[in-house]
Amino acid sequence: MAARRGTDEMRDRVVLGEFGVRNVHTTDFPGNYPGYEDAWDQRRFEEAFRVDVIREEGDTLEFDMVGIDAAIANAFRRILLAEVPTMAVEKVFVYNNTSIVQDEILAHRLGLIPIRADPRLFEYRNQGDQEGTEIDTLQFQLKIKCKRNPQAAKESSDPDELYFNHKVYSKHMTWVPLGNQTDLFPDADFRPVHDDILIALLRPGQEIDVLMHCVKGIGKDHAKFSPVATASYRLLPDITLLQPIEDEAAETLQKCFSPGVIEIQNINGKKVARVANARLDTFSREIFRHEGLKNLVRLARVRNHYIFSVESTGILPPDVLVSEAIKILMGKCQRFLNELDSVSME
Amino acid sequence: MVMKNPDVEFCGYCITHPSESKINFRIQTRGALPAVEPFRKGLNDLMGVCQHVLSTFERSMKEFRAQKEEEMQ
Repeated sequence: MAARRGTDEMRDRVVLGEFGVRNVHTTDFPGNYPGYEDAWDQRRFEEAFRVDVIREEGDTLEFDMVGIDAAIANAFRRILLAEVPTMAVEKVFVYNNTSIVQDEILAHRLGLIPIRADPRLFEYRNQGDQEGTEIDTLQFQLKIKCKRNPQAAKESSDPDELYFNHKVYSKHMTWVPLGNQTDLFPDADFRPVHDDILIALLRPGQEIDVLMHCVKGIGKDHAKFSPVATASYRLLPDITLLQPIEDEAAETLQKCFSPGVIEIQNINGKKVARVANARLDTFSREIFRHEGLKNLVRLARVRNHYIFSVESTGILPPDVLVSEAIKILMGKCQRFLNELDSVSME
Repeated sequence: MVMKNPDVEFCGYCITHPSESKINFRIQTRGALPAVEPFRKGLNDLMGVCQHVLSTFERSMKEFRAQKEEEMQ
């Protein structure tokens, strides 16, 4: 029985020791553990798998994926960061730029601005195509000139009062429809996600007159195409008290973990510590600095319970991004299957 | 996915050179099974997993939103 419990721990938990982490790698492959059924079984997977959505606020989504292997969860994370396509400014045609900001710096800054345009409505641009057609390009214009304000007070030094248009914001970017885009997208309102991104500062007499082409791309090519502010996951913490801990030791124990993890209850007049909510802990490992307590607690993580946190830049809502990432992985599998079939037919 | 197949004796990959996007993927089966079969099965199983994850995720999102609607009302 103890041996079975030991192997269960080896299979399900990643244990954080004082000087290192144990049981990191997945070992549940067929043949490794006698008595365990490890061969792939879709039905068993479907029974054990579940997704729980914890929080959805605006652009942030926090959800749990339970019962999946690390490789697949990591694949979803990597695809969210690098392979979900978005639209971003790629080519900037500078007609006039007399501002202090150099052309290439201005172009770089414009490229990083997130554009509210659903990338699924557009195609990728063909390689070598310089002009761009209406199905793969969005055109924006930024035309702004700074003037002196004749009505400003003589001694004022506030630039807001002295000049017109001295701050160039992303709200000054206007969409210029190409070809039949007005018919293709009658209700669409293509603009940057945020109106208050400061692009450049001007003084009277300086002007910026640029035309921008947005294309569809993926984060692997350039980070400006990444649709997430960040996408990360962590494993569910699992804290076990190996012996009952009381009184002063209980108080110290509570301070070693993040607030809310350890709860102190009064049982028969004595203060007894209990693990209330291990999920909140950030595993600072403070417990290992206390000689008396470090052997009484086991810090571990549940190997197949992933707490995902996806924050979108605003282009697409985060749940759409996760769905797209899963579809992209399916598309890759399908491509390989097609390749296999075409090779074996030769 | 391929490792979960009991017919597979060895499965591994390596990246030949970081500048080229090529991966050497090696599958060795025990017995007389052609090695392409575990590869094909692995890909099909992975597609099945993704499909199930997608449908479960979308179902959970719908339930979560329905629950939030109820709480707001």
